[in-house]
Amino acid sequence: MHVAWAVGATVVLAGLVAVRAFTAEQLDPSIPNPIQDLLTLSTSVIIESLPFIMLGIALSVLVQVWIPESWLLRILPRNPWGRRAVISLFGMFLPVCECGNVPLARGLVRRGFTVSESMTFLIAAPILNPVTIITTHQAFGFDDGILVARLLGGFAIANILGWLFSKHPEPMSLLSGRFAEECRIDDGHGHGRDRRQQTLDLFVRESSILMPALVIGSLIAGAIQVIVPRDVLVALGSDPLFSVLAMMILAFIISVCSNVDAFFILPFASTFLPGSIVAFLVFGPIVDIKMLALMRTTYSTRTLVQLTTVVALLSLALGLVVNYLA
Amino acid sequence: MSVMAAITLWLAVSGQLVLYIHPRYVVFTVIMAIMAVIAAIAAVSSPRHHDDEGLPLPPRRSRAVGIAAAGLAGAFALGMVVIPPATLSTATAQQREINATASDDAETLAEASVADSATVATFTVREWSTVLRQTSDLAFFDGKPATDLLGFVTADAEDPDSIFYISRFAVTCCAVDAQPLGVPVYLPGWAELYPPDTWVQVSGPFDSNPSRSSTKPVVLIPDRVEAVDQPREPYLF
Repeated sequence: MHVAWAVGATVVLAGLVAVRAFTAEQLDPSIPNPIQDLLTLSTSVIIESLPFIMLGIALSVLVQVWIPESWLLRILPRNPWGRRAVISLFGMFLPVCECGNVPLARGLVRRGFTVSESMTFLIAAPILNPVTIITTHQAFGFDDGILVARLLGGFAIANILGWLFSKHPEPMSLLSGRFAEECRIDDGHGHGRDRRQQTLDLFVRESSILMPALVIGSLIAGAIQVIVPRDVLVALGSDPLFSVLAMMILAFIISVCSNVDAFFILPFASTFLPGSIVAFLVFGPIVDIKMLALMRTTYSTRTLVQLTTVVALLSLALGLVVNYLA
Repeated sequence: MSVMAAITLWLAVSGQLVLYIHPRYVVFTVIMAIMAVIAAIAAVSSPRHHDDEGLPLPPRRSRAVGIAAAGLAGAFALGMVVIPPATLSTATAQQREINATASDDAETLAEASVADSATVATFTVREWSTVLRQTSDLAFFDGKPATDLLGFVTADAEDPDSIFYISRFAVTCCAVDAQPLGVPVYLPGWAELYPPDTWVQVSGPFDSNPSRSSTKPVVLIPDRVEAVDQPREPYLF
């Protein structure tokens, strides 16, 4: 019976691919350019994010099912500040870009980490990871302190935000209602099943929650990119304050992966001030359209508004300081 | 996820994944897509457990939003299956402003100044746009014609009747970060022969701009323009 399901699923997927191949040869839909570009941009975000989401789910499953609970908790300091500081360096060993960190952060909460610790990880990991450090260094070297400001800024913002949310009297209320219930139910489920079954169940649950969010986020990001003229933002490049704000808006819209955002922003360095480049490189990996859609699967809307506000203010301050010093 | 992963695999097999992402990510993307497909098939063929048993039903509004989101995601997945893949068009090239982020790389200019004719003949839109951004000295361009320069046609904003850009998108990660680069070509009435989005190959020398309404000091004066098929890799990586 199970073999029949597997064969059926394979046939369905093969059928979809066949339709795909047929329409590529036969269809000429004559879609207007802006609509076609919206589809291309949205599809691009999805295809770029898909492997990282898959990797994130795999690591999340690893943490939840295959690694003994005591291993992770044993290596962490008991002092909350020290504990968050170590958690913000997890990205050095789990070099997944920001969208892949969402399932991993969900896994950490289910594994007993606090909500504020999951936020510290989610914010720091895309910046403090070896791939991001190497690509930022390749793009900018140590010019204008951009690399150093990005790393120190990302670390500081992640820990400040973690500290702020750790003061919340009811941390579980920071989570979305659905995810909070899942965490509560998790305590009583899953222990009777074998690990393979738990792995597959987690894969199904995480992918069915995250993929609709990714598609929605990608569609909105694609639509805004088609609608908002880029030259409006570029015209603000030489103003110390507005250049920082313009770059943060660009980071919010563009939703590009933190592992390569330094290469994307490099051509703008000739017209924009260094502080605005730093603000782009710090704000973008934490808050953008795609990430908000993905994070909404885990945190409440109110929490995300607070998180976005704090991160935006801290990124703005960081950008202004760098502009002042550079 | 399995549908998206299966389509990703088809795009990779048909060589069209580079319409969406940089070639350096193709192997990683394909490996992860294969893992997603295998996991999906394994999940379908194993006994189902519902971890959400016991969860209270969410409020009606949340359910409606969830259903709408799932419906939209499903419609988009269907669109990915049915609508043929396509590269970015002139709409995005104009919206992002051609050459807004062209490089000021002095090294490229220095290399171009001493390059022999065989090397100059290999220059793409990327090299020429970098050179044109940094110099308008006609002596520099003497004996350095563009040869079979490949790109798609985009109208110039200042003089759309007489000048078009032969343009390409430069991509660092995926189509989202595509930056339009272009070389201005002076050819009055070009739109009747080569409508926007047509892929062309252009050869000819660079000279001072004859147009009265365009501020570009130097343009390509074509000896030969030929419509061609879109290349398999339309972006510059």
